[in-house]
Amino acid sequence: MFEKSDEHLIQKALSGNKRAWLNLIKRYEAQIYNYGIRMTGNNHDALDLMQEVFISVFRNLANYRGDGSFRGWLFKIAHYRCIEFYRRKKPHQGLEDSPEIESTEPSLEQVLAKSQHNHQLVEAMQRLPMSQKAVVELKFFGQFTFDEIAEQLGISSNTAKSQLYSALAKLKTFMEVEYA
Amino acid sequence: MPNLNEQQLLAAWMEGELDDQQRQAFEQRCAQDEEFAQQVQMVNSTLLKAQDYQAAEVPNWDRASTFEQGEQTKWWQWSGFPALSTALSIFAVVLVFSGFEAQVENGQLTVSFNKNRSSDVQMIVDQRLAEFQQNQQLAMNAYAQSLREQQLDASTQLTNYLLASSRQERKEDFGELIKFINEQRSEDQIFYARQLNQLQQEIFDSANAQPWSGEASLPVTNE
Repeated sequence: MFEKSDEHLIQKALSGNKRAWLNLIKRYEAQIYNYGIRMTGNNHDALDLMQEVFISVFRNLANYRGDGSFRGWLFKIAHYRCIEFYRRKKPHQGLEDSPEIESTEPSLEQVLAKSQHNHQLVEAMQRLPMSQKAVVELKFFGQFTFDEIAEQLGISSNTAKSQLYSALAKLKTFMEVEYA
Repeated sequence: MPNLNEQQLLAAWMEGELDDQQRQAFEQRCAQDEEFAQQVQMVNSTLLKAQDYQAAEVPNWDRASTFEQGEQTKWWQWSGFPALSTALSIFAVVLVFSGFEAQVENGQLTVSFNKNRSSDVQMIVDQRLAEFQQNQQLAMNAYAQSLREQQLDASTQLTNYLLASSRQERKEDFGELIKFINEQRSEDQIFYARQLNQLQQEIFDSANAQPWSGEASLPVTNE
Protein backbone atom coordinates (compact mmCIF):
# COMPACT_ATOMS: atom_id res chain seq x y z
CA MET A 1 0.00 0.00 0.00
CA PHE A 2 1.12 3.51 -0.68
CA GLU A 3 1.95 5.53 2.37
CA LYS A 4 0.25 8.88 2.57
CA SER A 5 2.59 11.85 2.48
CA ASP A 6 3.10 14.12 5.46
CA GLU A 7 1.52 17.00 3.59
CA HIS A 8 -1.57 14.93 2.83
CA LEU A 9 -1.96 13.97 6.49
CA ILE A 10 -1.39 17.58 7.56
CA GLN A 11 -4.11 18.84 5.25
CA LYS A 12 -6.52 16.24 6.54
CA ALA A 13 -5.61 17.00 10.16
CA LEU A 14 -6.16 20.68 9.52
CA SER A 15 -9.61 19.96 8.17
CA GLY A 16 -10.43 18.15 11.41
CA ASN A 17 -9.53 14.59 10.57
CA LYS A 18 -8.38 13.12 13.86
CA ARG A 19 -7.25 9.83 12.38
CA ALA A 20 -4.87 11.63 10.01
CA TRP A 21 -3.37 13.51 12.93
CA LEU A 22 -2.91 10.31 14.94
CA ASN A 23 -1.23 8.69 11.93
CA LEU A 24 1.13 11.63 11.71
CA ILE A 25 1.94 11.29 15.41
CA LYS A 26 2.62 7.58 15.09
CA ARG A 27 4.97 8.29 12.21
CA TYR A 28 7.19 10.58 14.28
CA GLU A 29 6.54 9.82 17.94
CA ALA A 30 9.41 7.34 18.28
CA GLN A 31 11.90 9.84 16.87
CA ILE A 32 10.64 12.61 19.13
CA TYR A 33 10.47 10.36 22.17
CA ASN A 34 14.05 9.13 21.73
CA TYR A 35 15.12 12.69 20.97
CA GLY A 36 13.58 13.60 24.31
CA ILE A 37 15.39 10.80 26.12
CA ARG A 38 18.74 11.87 24.71
CA MET A 39 18.10 15.56 25.38
CA THR A 40 16.64 15.24 28.86
CA GLY A 41 18.29 11.99 29.95
CA ASN A 42 15.02 10.88 31.47
CA ASN A 43 12.19 8.86 29.95
CA HIS A 44 9.52 10.57 32.05
CA ASP A 45 10.68 13.99 30.96
CA ALA A 46 10.94 12.68 27.43
CA LEU A 47 7.29 11.65 27.53
CA ASP A 48 6.22 15.05 28.84
CA LEU A 49 8.38 16.77 26.27
CA MET A 50 6.92 14.64 23.46
CA GLN A 51 3.39 15.57 24.49
CA GLU A 52 4.27 19.26 24.60
CA VAL A 53 5.94 19.02 21.21
CA PHE A 54 2.94 17.44 19.51
CA ILE A 55 0.50 19.87 21.14
CA SER A 56 2.66 22.73 19.93
CA VAL A 57 2.96 21.19 16.47
CA PHE A 58 -0.78 20.81 16.19
CA ARG A 59 -1.44 24.38 17.29
CA ASN A 60 1.03 25.66 14.73
CA LEU A 61 0.15 23.21 12.00
CA ALA A 62 -1.67 25.87 9.98
CA ASN A 63 1.57 27.89 9.90
CA TYR A 64 3.52 25.08 8.27
CA ARG A 65 4.02 26.33 4.73
CA GLY A 66 5.79 23.30 3.38
CA ASP A 67 8.98 25.24 2.58
CA GLY A 68 11.17 22.52 4.04
CA SER A 69 10.57 18.99 5.20
CA PHE A 70 7.94 18.45 7.85
CA ARG A 71 10.49 16.46 9.83
CA GLY A 72 12.85 19.43 9.95
CA TRP A 73 10.01 21.73 11.02
CA LEU A 74 8.98 19.19 13.64
CA PHE A 75 12.45 19.02 15.12
CA LYS A 76 12.71 22.80 15.10
CA ILE A 77 9.60 22.97 17.30
CA ALA A 78 10.96 20.11 19.39
CA HIS A 79 14.13 22.11 19.97
CA TYR A 80 12.19 25.19 21.11
CA ARG A 81 10.03 23.11 23.43
CA CYS A 82 13.15 21.35 24.70
CA ILE A 83 14.79 24.69 25.53
CA GLU A 84 11.66 25.80 27.38
CA PHE A 85 11.62 22.50 29.21
CA TYR A 86 15.29 22.89 30.06
CA ARG A 87 14.76 26.43 31.36
CA ARG A 88 11.88 25.33 33.53
CA LYS A 89 13.97 22.52 34.95
CA LYS A 90 17.15 24.53 35.36
CA PRO A 91 16.21 28.21 35.37
CA HIS A 92 19.63 29.39 36.54
CA GLN A 93 21.67 27.50 33.97
CA GLY A 94 22.49 28.95 30.55
CA LEU A 95 22.37 27.02 27.30
CA GLU A 96 26.13 27.33 26.90
CA ASP A 97 26.87 26.23 30.48
CA SER A 98 28.04 22.74 31.23
CA PRO A 99 25.40 21.01 33.32
CA GLU A 100 26.10 19.96 36.86
CA ILE A 101 26.85 16.27 37.16
CA GLU A 102 23.92 14.55 38.72
CA SER A 103 23.53 11.01 39.85
CA THR A 104 22.05 8.84 37.16
CA GLU A 105 18.37 8.38 37.67
CA PRO A 106 17.09 4.82 37.78
CA SER A 107 14.70 5.55 34.95
CA LEU A 108 17.55 6.37 32.60
CA GLU A 109 19.39 3.21 33.53
CA GLN A 110 16.25 1.26 33.03
CA VAL A 111 15.77 2.69 29.57
CA LEU A 112 19.38 2.40 28.51
CA ALA A 113 20.25 -0.85 30.16
CA LYS A 114 19.59 -2.84 27.03
CA SER A 115 22.53 -1.25 25.22
CA GLN A 116 25.90 -0.40 26.63
CA HIS A 117 26.51 1.78 23.59
CA ASN A 118 23.33 3.66 24.25
CA HIS A 119 24.26 4.18 27.83
CA GLN A 120 27.80 5.31 27.12
CA LEU A 121 26.97 7.88 24.47
CA VAL A 122 23.80 9.24 26.02
CA GLU A 123 25.46 9.50 29.41
CA ALA A 124 28.29 11.49 27.89
CA MET A 125 25.83 13.71 26.02
CA GLN A 126 24.14 14.65 29.28
CA ARG A 127 27.35 16.35 30.37
CA LEU A 128 27.44 18.63 27.32
CA PRO A 129 26.01 22.14 27.36
CA MET A 130 22.52 22.32 25.90
CA SER A 131 23.59 24.04 22.69
CA GLN A 132 26.30 21.48 21.90
CA LYS A 133 24.08 18.58 22.86
CA ALA A 134 21.46 19.77 20.41
CA VAL A 135 23.98 19.88 17.56
CA VAL A 136 25.27 16.37 18.37
CA GLU A 137 21.73 15.06 18.57
CA LEU A 138 20.62 16.56 15.28
CA LYS A 139 23.80 15.64 13.44
CA PHE A 140 24.36 12.06 14.55
CA PHE A 141 20.85 10.92 15.41
CA GLY A 142 18.76 13.26 13.29
CA GLN A 143 21.06 12.96 10.26
CA PHE A 144 20.49 16.62 9.39
CA THR A 145 22.96 18.70 7.39
CA PHE A 146 24.75 21.59 9.05
CA ASP A 147 22.57 24.07 7.15
CA GLU A 148 19.42 22.35 8.38
CA ILE A 149 20.78 22.27 11.93
CA ALA A 150 21.65 25.95 11.73
CA GLU A 151 18.13 26.76 10.49
CA GLN A 152 16.50 24.68 13.22
CA LEU A 153 18.58 26.09 16.04
CA GLY A 154 18.58 29.65 14.75
CA ILE A 155 22.36 29.88 14.50
CA SER A 156 24.85 30.14 11.65
CA SER A 157 26.21 27.09 9.91
CA ASN A 158 29.74 27.91 11.05
CA THR A 159 28.56 28.15 14.65
CA ALA A 160 26.96 24.73 14.33
CA LYS A 161 30.21 23.30 12.98
CA SER A 162 32.21 24.95 15.74
CA GLN A 163 29.87 23.64 18.42
CA LEU A 164 30.06 20.12 17.04
CA TYR A 165 33.84 20.28 16.98
CA SER A 166 33.93 21.36 20.63
CA ALA A 167 31.33 18.78 21.57
CA LEU A 168 33.33 15.96 19.99
CA ALA A 169 36.41 16.85 22.03
CA LYS A 170 34.36 16.88 25.22
CA LEU A 171 32.57 13.63 24.38
CA LYS A 172 35.91 11.94 23.81
CA THR A 173 37.14 13.09 27.20
CA PHE A 174 33.94 12.09 29.02
CA MET A 175 33.84 8.64 27.45
CA GLU A 176 37.52 8.01 28.07
CA VAL A 177 37.19 9.01 31.73
CA GLU A 178 34.08 7.01 32.33
CA TYR A 179 35.13 3.82 30.57
CA ALA A 180 38.86 3.89 30.97
CA MET B 1 38.13 26.02 -3.26
CA PRO B 2 39.56 28.07 -0.39
CA ASN B 3 41.57 26.40 2.31
CA LEU B 4 39.35 25.25 5.14
CA ASN B 5 40.13 25.30 8.80
CA GLU B 6 39.87 22.16 10.90
CA GLN B 7 36.24 22.60 11.82
CA GLN B 8 35.15 23.33 8.27
CA LEU B 9 37.27 20.49 6.90
CA LEU B 10 35.76 18.03 9.34
CA ALA B 11 32.26 19.30 8.62
CA ALA B 12 32.80 19.04 4.85
CA TRP B 13 34.09 15.50 5.31
CA MET B 14 31.04 14.58 7.38
CA GLU B 15 28.76 16.03 4.70
CA GLY B 16 30.69 14.28 1.92
CA GLU B 17 31.46 17.55 0.19
CA LEU B 18 35.26 17.30 -0.08
CA ASP B 19 36.77 17.83 -3.51
CA ASP B 20 40.06 16.17 -4.47
CA GLN B 21 42.23 18.97 -3.15
CA GLN B 22 40.36 19.13 0.13
CA ARG B 23 40.45 15.35 0.44
CA GLN B 24 44.22 15.46 0.13
CA ALA B 25 44.37 18.20 2.76
CA PHE B 26 42.06 16.16 4.96
CA GLU B 27 44.15 13.02 4.71
CA GLN B 28 47.36 14.96 5.20
CA ARG B 29 45.99 16.58 8.34
CA CYS B 30 44.80 13.26 9.66
CA ALA B 31 48.31 11.91 9.24
CA GLN B 32 50.07 14.92 10.72
CA ASP B 33 47.69 16.27 13.31
CA GLU B 34 46.94 13.72 16.01
CA GLU B 35 44.25 15.84 17.60
CA PHE B 36 42.44 16.21 14.29
CA ALA B 37 42.78 12.47 13.71
CA GLN B 38 41.20 11.80 17.08
CA GLN B 39 38.33 14.09 16.19
CA VAL B 40 37.76 12.12 12.99
CA GLN B 41 37.93 8.90 14.93
CA MET B 42 35.44 10.32 17.43
CA VAL B 43 33.07 11.20 14.61
CA ASN B 44 33.29 7.66 13.25
CA SER B 45 32.81 6.18 16.69
CA THR B 46 29.83 8.40 17.43
CA LEU B 47 28.27 7.63 14.07
CA LEU B 48 28.56 3.93 14.75
CA LYS B 49 27.07 4.33 18.21
CA ALA B 50 24.24 6.41 16.79
CA GLN B 51 23.57 3.74 14.15
CA ASP B 52 23.62 1.02 16.80
CA TYR B 53 21.42 3.04 19.08
CA GLN B 54 18.46 0.95 20.14
CA ALA B 55 15.53 3.28 20.15
CA ALA B 56 13.32 3.01 23.17
CA GLU B 57 9.76 1.97 22.57
CA VAL B 58 7.23 4.69 23.02
CA PRO B 59 5.02 3.97 26.01
CA ASN B 60 1.31 4.17 25.57
CA TRP B 61 0.21 7.78 25.92
CA ASP B 62 -2.85 9.86 25.28
CA ARG B 63 -2.23 10.84 21.67
CA ALA B 64 -5.75 12.15 21.24
CA SER B 65 -5.17 14.80 23.89
CA THR B 66 -2.97 16.68 21.43
CA PHE B 67 -6.00 17.01 19.16
CA GLU B 68 -7.88 19.07 21.71
CA GLN B 69 -7.67 22.22 19.63
CA GLY B 70 -8.72 20.37 16.55
CA GLU B 71 -12.39 20.03 17.32
CA GLN B 72 -14.81 21.13 14.68
CA THR B 73 -15.05 24.86 14.76
CA LYS B 74 -18.33 26.27 15.92
CA TRP B 75 -20.52 28.11 13.46
CA TRP B 76 -19.67 31.45 15.05
CA GLN B 77 -15.99 30.70 14.53
CA TRP B 78 -16.50 30.27 10.77
CA SER B 79 -13.50 31.76 9.03
CA GLY B 80 -15.67 33.34 6.34
CA PHE B 81 -17.32 35.77 8.72
CA PRO B 82 -14.73 38.54 8.33
CA ALA B 83 -14.95 38.38 4.54
CA LEU B 84 -18.73 38.27 4.68
CA SER B 85 -18.79 41.21 7.04
CA THR B 86 -16.57 43.24 4.74
CA ALA B 87 -18.66 42.36 1.70
CA LEU B 88 -21.89 43.37 3.44
CA SER B 89 -20.32 46.65 4.57
CA ILE B 90 -19.27 47.44 0.99
CA PHE B 91 -22.77 46.52 -0.22
CA ALA B 92 -24.32 48.84 2.35
CA VAL B 93 -22.04 51.69 1.32
CA VAL B 94 -22.93 51.12 -2.34
CA LEU B 95 -26.63 51.20 -1.47
CA VAL B 96 -26.22 54.49 0.36
CA PHE B 97 -24.27 56.20 -2.41
CA SER B 98 -26.47 54.84 -5.18
CA GLY B 99 -29.59 56.28 -3.60
CA PHE B 100 -31.22 52.90 -3.18
CA GLU B 101 -34.76 53.08 -1.95
CA ALA B 102 -37.27 50.34 -1.33
CA GLN B 103 -40.95 50.92 -0.75
CA VAL B 104 -43.72 48.50 0.02
CA GLU B 105 -47.18 49.63 -0.99
CA ASN B 106 -50.21 47.41 -1.26
CA GLY B 107 -48.07 44.29 -1.17
CA GLN B 108 -45.81 45.58 -3.95
CA LEU B 109 -42.14 46.13 -3.40
CA THR B 110 -40.70 49.03 -5.32
CA VAL B 111 -36.96 49.37 -5.57
CA SER B 112 -35.44 52.51 -7.01
CA PHE B 113 -31.94 53.87 -7.53
CA ASN B 114 -30.56 57.32 -8.18
CA LYS B 115 -33.74 59.03 -7.09
CA ASN B 116 -33.34 62.77 -6.98
CA ARG B 117 -33.32 63.09 -3.26
CA SER B 118 -31.78 66.51 -3.01
CA SER B 119 -34.93 68.37 -4.05
CA ASP B 120 -36.96 66.28 -1.61
CA VAL B 121 -34.57 67.03 1.12
CA GLN B 122 -34.62 70.74 0.22
CA MET B 123 -38.40 70.76 0.24
CA ILE B 124 -38.53 69.04 3.61
CA VAL B 125 -35.95 71.43 4.97
CA ASP B 126 -37.91 74.45 3.68
CA GLN B 127 -41.11 73.07 5.15
CA ARG B 128 -39.47 72.47 8.47
CA LEU B 129 -37.98 75.95 8.41
CA ALA B 130 -41.37 77.53 7.68
CA GLU B 131 -42.95 75.56 10.50
CA PHE B 132 -40.18 76.58 12.78
CA GLN B 133 -40.54 80.22 11.79
CA GLN B 134 -44.29 80.10 12.36
CA ASN B 135 -43.85 78.52 15.74
CA GLN B 136 -41.27 81.08 16.66
CA GLN B 137 -43.60 83.91 15.61
CA LEU B 138 -46.45 82.52 17.70
CA ALA B 139 -44.18 82.08 20.65
CA MET B 140 -42.90 85.64 20.25
CA ASN B 141 -46.45 87.03 20.11
CA ALA B 142 -47.45 85.07 23.16
CA TYR B 143 -44.39 86.28 24.95
CA ALA B 144 -45.06 89.93 24.03
CA GLN B 145 -48.69 89.61 25.12
CA SER B 146 -47.65 88.10 28.38
CA LEU B 147 -45.09 90.82 28.92
CA ARG B 148 -47.65 93.51 28.17
CA GLU B 149 -50.12 92.02 30.62
CA GLN B 150 -47.47 91.82 33.25
CA GLN B 151 -46.60 95.48 32.73
CA LEU B 152 -50.26 96.47 32.91
CA ASP B 153 -50.77 94.57 36.11
CA ALA B 154 -47.67 96.13 37.58
CA SER B 155 -48.84 99.64 36.62
CA THR B 156 -52.31 99.06 38.08
CA GLN B 157 -50.87 97.74 41.28
CA LEU B 158 -48.50 100.70 41.51
CA THR B 159 -51.33 103.20 40.90
CA ASN B 160 -53.55 101.57 43.48
CA TYR B 161 -50.74 101.57 45.93
CA LEU B 162 -49.99 105.25 45.34
CA LEU B 163 -53.64 106.24 45.65
CA ALA B 164 -54.14 104.21 48.76
CA SER B 165 -51.03 105.49 50.39
CA SER B 166 -51.79 109.16 49.59
CA ARG B 167 -55.35 108.74 50.83
CA GLN B 168 -54.10 107.27 54.04
CA GLU B 169 -51.59 110.05 54.46
CA ARG B 170 -54.25 112.71 53.88
CA LYS B 171 -56.54 110.99 56.32
CA GLU B 172 -53.79 110.94 58.90
CA ASP B 173 -52.93 114.59 58.20
CA PHE B 174 -56.54 115.70 58.61
CA GLY B 175 -56.77 113.69 61.80
CA GLU B 176 -53.70 115.41 63.11
CA LEU B 177 -55.10 118.83 62.10
CA ILE B 178 -58.44 118.20 63.76
CA LYS B 179 -56.69 116.96 66.81
CA PHE B 180 -54.51 120.09 66.87
CA ILE B 181 -57.51 122.39 66.40
CA ASN B 182 -59.39 120.57 69.13
CA GLU B 183 -56.46 120.95 71.44
CA GLN B 184 -56.22 124.66 70.59
CA ARG B 185 -59.87 125.13 71.18
CA SER B 186 -59.63 123.26 74.43
CA GLU B 187 -56.76 125.44 75.56
CA ASP B 188 -58.63 128.56 74.41
CA GLN B 189 -61.67 127.50 76.37
CA ILE B 190 -59.55 126.98 79.45
CA PHE B 191 -57.90 130.36 78.88
CA TYR B 192 -61.23 132.14 78.46
CA ALA B 193 -62.67 130.34 81.44
CA ARG B 194 -59.76 131.46 83.52
CA GLN B 195 -60.08 135.01 82.22
CA LEU B 196 -63.73 135.00 83.03
CA ASN B 197 -63.08 133.61 86.49
CA GLN B 198 -60.43 136.18 87.07
CA LEU B 199 -62.71 138.91 85.82
CA GLN B 200 -65.48 137.66 87.96
CA GLN B 201 -63.16 137.68 90.93
CA GLU B 202 -62.00 141.19 90.31
CA ILE B 203 -65.51 142.38 89.85
CA PHE B 204 -66.46 140.75 92.99
CA ASP B 205 -63.51 142.16 94.85
CA SER B 206 -64.06 145.70 93.63
CA ALA B 207 -67.72 145.53 94.44
CA ASN B 208 -66.93 144.63 97.99
CA ALA B 209 -64.33 147.38 98.35
CA GLN B 210 -66.11 150.42 96.82
CA PRO B 211 -69.62 149.58 96.12
CA TRP B 212 -70.93 151.80 93.36
CA SER B 213 -68.42 154.70 94.19
CA GLY B 214 -67.61 155.80 90.88
CA GLU B 215 -66.49 154.10 87.79
CA ALA B 216 -64.74 151.01 88.48
CA SER B 217 -61.65 150.61 86.61
CA LEU B 218 -61.36 147.11 85.52
CA PRO B 219 -57.86 145.76 85.61
CA VAL B 220 -56.76 144.61 82.29
CA THR B 221 -54.17 141.95 82.22
CA ASN B 222 -52.95 139.73 79.58
CA GLU B 223 -53.14 136.68 81.64
